[in-house]
Amino acid sequence: MLPLSFSSIGEPVRIQAIKGKPDVMTFLESLGFVSGCAVTLLSKQGGNVIVKVKDVRVAISAEMAGNIMVAPHAA
Amino acid sequence: MAFTVALAGNPNSGKTTLFNRLTGSTQRIGNWPGVTVDRKEGTIKSKTDITLIDLPGVYSLSPYTMEEVITRDYLVHEEPDAIINIVDASNIERNLYLTTQLLDIGIPVVVALNMMDVVNKRGDVIDIPALSEQLGCPVIEISAIKGFGIQSLVGTAHEAAHFGATPHFVEAVEGDVATAVHHDQVIAHHQYRETHFERTFTAPVEAAIDSIAQVIQGRMPIEHLRWYAIKVFERDERVEKSLHLNEAERAQVESLISAVETEYDDVSSSIVTGESYDFISTVVEQTVTKQQVGMSLSDKIDRVVTSRILGLPIFVAVMFLVYYVSVTTIGALVTDFTNDTFVGAWIQEPVAHWLGSIGVADWLQSLFVDGIIGGVGAVIGFLPQMIILFIFLALLEDCGYMARIAFLMDRIFRRFGMSGKSFIPLLIGTGCGVPGIMATRTIEQDRDRRMTILTTTFMPCGAKLPFIALIAGVAFGGAWWVAPSAYFMGIGSVIVTGIILKKTRLFSGDPAPFVMELPAYHPPILRNTFYSVWERSSAFVKKATTIILLTSIVIWFASSFGFDAGGFGMVDDLNQSIAAHIGNAFAWIFSPLGFGNWKAAISSVLGLAAKEEIVSVMGIFSSIGDGAIDMVDAGQMGALSPIMMLFGASAIPVAAAYAFLAFNLLCVPCFAAVGAMVGEMKSWKWSLFTIGYQCGWAWIVGMIIYNLWIWIALGTFGFWTVAALLCLAVILFLLFRPAPRDRVAKLAARTTAA
Repeated sequence: MLPLSFSSIGEPVRIQAIKGKPDVMTFLESLGFVSGCAVTLLSKQGGNVIVKVKDVRVAISAEMAGNIMVAPHAA
Repeated sequence: MAFTVALAGNPNSGKTTLFNRLTGSTQRIGNWPGVTVDRKEGTIKSKTDITLIDLPGVYSLSPYTMEEVITRDYLVHEEPDAIINIVDASNIERNLYLTTQLLDIGIPVVVALNMMDVVNKRGDVIDIPALSEQLGCPVIEISAIKGFGIQSLVGTAHEAAHFGATPHFVEAVEGDVATAVHHDQVIAHHQYRETHFERTFTAPVEAAIDSIAQVIQGRMPIEHLRWYAIKVFERDERVEKSLHLNEAERAQVESLISAVETEYDDVSSSIVTGESYDFISTVVEQTVTKQQVGMSLSDKIDRVVTSRILGLPIFVAVMFLVYYVSVTTIGALVTDFTNDTFVGAWIQEPVAHWLGSIGVADWLQSLFVDGIIGGVGAVIGFLPQMIILFIFLALLEDCGYMARIAFLMDRIFRRFGMSGKSFIPLLIGTGCGVPGIMATRTIEQDRDRRMTILTTTFMPCGAKLPFIALIAGVAFGGAWWVAPSAYFMGIGSVIVTGIILKKTRLFSGDPAPFVMELPAYHPPILRNTFYSVWERSSAFVKKATTIILLTSIVIWFASSFGFDAGGFGMVDDLNQSIAAHIGNAFAWIFSPLGFGNWKAAISSVLGLAAKEEIVSVMGIFSSIGDGAIDMVDAGQMGALSPIMMLFGASAIPVAAAYAFLAFNLLCVPCFAAVGAMVGEMKSWKWSLFTIGYQCGWAWIVGMIIYNLWIWIALGTFGFWTVAALLCLAVILFLLFRPAPRDRVAKLAARTTAA
């Protein structure tokens, strides 16, 4: 399990847990970031990342990306 | 019978496109009470008995963003007759999340499955009847862009609003086994209201929601009961508060929730979200057949456009193009044309001539020609340029690049309390502050927007260039560094202000973490561009014809009336005008800045009409006469040198001249920009704060520059030197003090509770 910001570009991973304040968590959840969901990192830009989740591209700041814990897709 | 139908959907789901297509020119724009979010409504063109309300784009009905709160308050309290829920079919899973929440509310929902053309092109297949059955509401395939399915959607929405019953509606009365209701059965309105869609959660969650429903029932219309029960289960503070539960009830509810939370080892809101997505996954699995997709076109474009290497160069190129076209080339051309030819030669002169020929009193002529036409015309002159700019902004927003700009710039601007989208207003502000301020509309967060509005006019705009050139020429012999220093001062003020204010109570609060959807790229839709440009331009014209009209008259009056030998009346000599008296009264304010004489003071005051006026007024005062601006343009600095006499009384005239430059650069912009500011702030409190801050900041910067300058150059040390050093120290302290975190956290907690 590692923060989303550390996963490599183009490699699908699965969300294990989301940490953080309730409002932030809820917002991420409404965007489709829920445990067990597959996401793919599309690009990194100085710590900020773009991820693909449920067919949508979402840009997330570095600190948020650090709050989303992921594991390799197979796991 | 007249109906109200609400249009709800995710951001970027094509909601605006659908709204424009359904309502066309009937749309009206207002405000949601108490907030700056636009409230749009219109009449459906083909069914004029339906009023369509465009709700803000939201991802869910949680209580965390202003848009979400507006949406749910509207739905629950104002009870539209039906909801059209626009769903982006190419991104169905995420979009259905909002759908499930809308269905819970108990108002008839019609799902408009948009972007079906994209889905078909991709080769995906969606089983519409099955989807409709699973969701328990009608589902209509549409393409808002291409216009198909619109009539069918309107018909179904009308039916839903009227009968509350539509084909394929699944009735699921509480406690009963769901029974399908067919075409031929028409359910009356009231019956529909008592039934509702029920996605089933796992048994323990359902049981808890049912028990909560029993506790809270009777406090809201029965059809909303389940929605309220689910929200209470999620510990939604706003809903809980609105129910006024007593101590015992609250304890009962709390024990129900925590029992489930213990069982699932998760917080209740996450349980609901998780199970909602499980439900959606099942629905999607059963109804959508997806082709295996590789990278979409948008993904490929993003790989280039947001990449580490090419991202910034592409951004710079796009911005350069926008700036070059809308500010320097075509923009400058059309502005000159409207100002000189259209307003000047075509309106002002003929009107003057006509008024003269019918023998209208001189003062009235002057009021119309110089005051009203001159003042409002100077502002309207910016309109063509603004339209060009608004077209660019609308195109950038519509095609999806604006979201990428926000992404690329966010890290930089977040540091001074702004958003990635603040870059565009500031850039435009170097051309003209008015469209710059109007461009802040693209910033969603209120706080970021206010900060951007406040700082945009620190940038040296086109109208400030003549007096920058003047000071550089007459005080510094045309030194190369003066103009760039003005830009640095502007940028520096933006940054320092951002950092200082970000740490104050006014702008503090939880810095919203940057999370935003990057919509798929698509060619811009002309209809949307048109409406967006129309909206913004007409807002500006309205401003120009009200606030600016009024201030034009006031300025005209102050500068053309006064006391002379014959008593009060119109005066030819500016020295005798009311403006001169006002300048005199305020001159002392500027002594610490080195230009405490009334002539310099009035120049600053009259600069509020238009900043280039500063040059003309100074010209008049130093007996150069009119046409000082033309002389600046022609570079005749030698002839302009008498202007330095205005600063002659100070210890170092050049220092005073530079302080004067700093003050006029940073203080309140012209009235046109102030008008735009007031309009965009939508609050007198904030507008006054902005004006006060800008004046204060400009004065302090000018004061520091002048006093430190004479201290260093002449060794003059006095009260104001101490004051300058103190101010500098305070600024540095505010700049480098740590953000008061616990206060921030407390404040955030308070706003959430409210």
